[in-house]
Amino acid sequence: MKATGVHLKAVKKSFGAVDVIRGVDMDVERGHFAVFVGPSGCGKSTLLRMIAGLEETSDGEIFIGDRDVTHEDPADRGVAMVFQSYALYPHLSVYENMAFSLRLAKRPKAEIDDKVREAAGILQLADHLEKKPAQLSGGQRQRVAIGRAIVRAPDVFLFDEPLSNLDAELRVQMRLELARLHQKLGATMIYVTHDQVEAMTLADTIFVLQGGHVQQSGAPLDLYDDPSNRFVAGFIGSPSMNFFSASVDDHTGDGIDVRLSGQPDMTLNLPVSKPPTKGASIVLGMRPEHLVVTKGEGLRVTVDVAEELGGVSYQHGTLESGDPVIFQQAGVRHGMHGTVQTVMPEPGRVFVFDIDGERIR
Amino acid sequence: MSKLKRRRRELRAAGLLTAPFLFVFTVFFLYPTYKVIALSFTDAPLIGEGQWIGFANYAKLLNDRLFFTSLWNNLYFVLLTVVPTTVIALLIALAVSKLKGRMQALVLTLFFLPYVLPVSVVTLIWAWMLDFQFGILQPLIAAVTGKPVPVFRNPYWVMPMIAVVTIWWTNGFNVLLLIAGLRNIPQDLYEAASLDGATPWQRFWRVTWPLLWPVTALVLTLQLILQLKLFDQVYLLSNGGPFNSSYVVLMQMYREAFQLNNGGYASAIAMVLFLVIVIVSVLQFQILRIGGRK
Repeated sequence: MKATGVHLKAVKKSFGAVDVIRGVDMDVERGHFAVFVGPSGCGKSTLLRMIAGLEETSDGEIFIGDRDVTHEDPADRGVAMVFQSYALYPHLSVYENMAFSLRLAKRPKAEIDDKVREAAGILQLADHLEKKPAQLSGGQRQRVAIGRAIVRAPDVFLFDEPLSNLDAELRVQMRLELARLHQKLGATMIYVTHDQVEAMTLADTIFVLQGGHVQQSGAPLDLYDDPSNRFVAGFIGSPSMNFFSASVDDHTGDGIDVRLSGQPDMTLNLPVSKPPTKGASIVLGMRPEHLVVTKGEGLRVTVDVAEELGGVSYQHGTLESGDPVIFQQAGVRHGMHGTVQTVMPEPGRVFVFDIDGERIR
Repeated sequence: MSKLKRRRRELRAAGLLTAPFLFVFTVFFLYPTYKVIALSFTDAPLIGEGQWIGFANYAKLLNDRLFFTSLWNNLYFVLLTVVPTTVIALLIALAVSKLKGRMQALVLTLFFLPYVLPVSVVTLIWAWMLDFQFGILQPLIAAVTGKPVPVFRNPYWVMPMIAVVTIWWTNGFNVLLLIAGLRNIPQDLYEAASLDGATPWQRFWRVTWPLLWPVTALVLTLQLILQLKLFDQVYLLSNGGPFNSSYVVLMQMYREAFQLNNGGYASAIAMVLFLVIVIVSVLQFQILRIGGRK
């Protein structure tokens, strides 16, 4: 067993007959920032609450450091949690909210004061210590919730969608602050979100969850460059990946020729080490940023909506087969609305999936 | 022009909507209240006009020993009911809120059931249960005191027993209020507290109690007002006796008005009780608010 970090072994959770977590193994190294990401209902919050001890673990083991904490009380696990609702005590001042755990532990007054003021300094809350939570803005409440976690100096910080109640601008700002905080404290952090941008920007390791399983885990760019199935490919990256149905036309020396359904005049040659049988239906994945407008032959896209964001623009349209397409253009004012454009994927940037969504490499 | 028209239309609608209430309020509350105040300065009988006698009724009241006995009994009763009923209701509410779904609804209904009963039924039930010869609770009393006690004819037992009956009767409503208050406390506060290392006891005193305090204060104040208005239970269970040991202010008012035909004097008693209730409840509410802020 590794001496530090958080480790789950075949962890399962069921509510009655419903299995929510169906056997999760994971290792979060000490000092790493791990992010659980997935659509709502994928079990990511439940898994976090199991690590916190707020949900019972039906089967499997949870280790924090080298301690088996599977059946320990939340308070004895050495974890602190930041809730989506912040869960600040509304009747206590900011100072008392942060001092709460230390007061319960009957720490000396001077020590409590030192720790609270230090945390308040880090989080720029020094001017608000006497206020009640109701007098603070959303971002400040969020910082108090983080401050309450910091004063306990836990081994592991747990964040349950902490930014989802903030407006877009503040969310970006708090995301940066969290990244800085992680560098400053160097503690292990586990963070739950459904927002893949938060996941990509904050994480050392992303765990993509769906249906109670870890679909794939790894560094953000590894997941982006090399998704192991269609779900992960579609979930990571924004706007999400385009998927086109196609069929295998022929085997070549080191790959396959594929034909897109609905556009039989064009074949793509893709390198694949384990080619599917001839005629098999497959799915091709191409990211919007890897589709390049070309004068030659390629995928013909009828553009119906253009989203011009300034630096980049997203052209939405359809293939001749009816499959929707998004492709990205640098700069603006292309005036592509209503036109037919021909695009080609950058070489080596096409992902092949079988009909069940598994990656074919 | 159209602005003026719209304004007039709004005023007409407002008048139309408030008129029924204003009418009922004036005829059945404002006018009788005025009459009671006016009556308290006269020597009028219950029906008919009387002579203006100024503060003579109030002066008489200050020398009426029975009035002070009644007032004292009222305060004793408040002491016996207000805090105990709130504590009991809180304990029940805490226990019930641990139950889930249908079980919770069932238990809550059971606790609320007595509140639905009319006071005459309640007093009849308890008069039977505490009957000196046949009451099923007499063996229990005998086990504690050594012999059966005719509780409503014993000056020491009568008030506490009326208090027990009253608490049993009205507790369900307080439980309901406190449960509503408990449900208003977000679950994640308890989760945060347990992560912060709070024991169940600390979770109660540091989270539940302070956050429930506004509801608790409300229950205490409502109870205080309600219990100062004690009449029915005493009238039906002991009729003020024995030796006036359960005589209360409203009983005296009732007797002066409807048995001795002293409308003016009875009105003065009602006015004084009204003032006592206002002063005590405002005082209590202020004290509770200060207590809550700390």
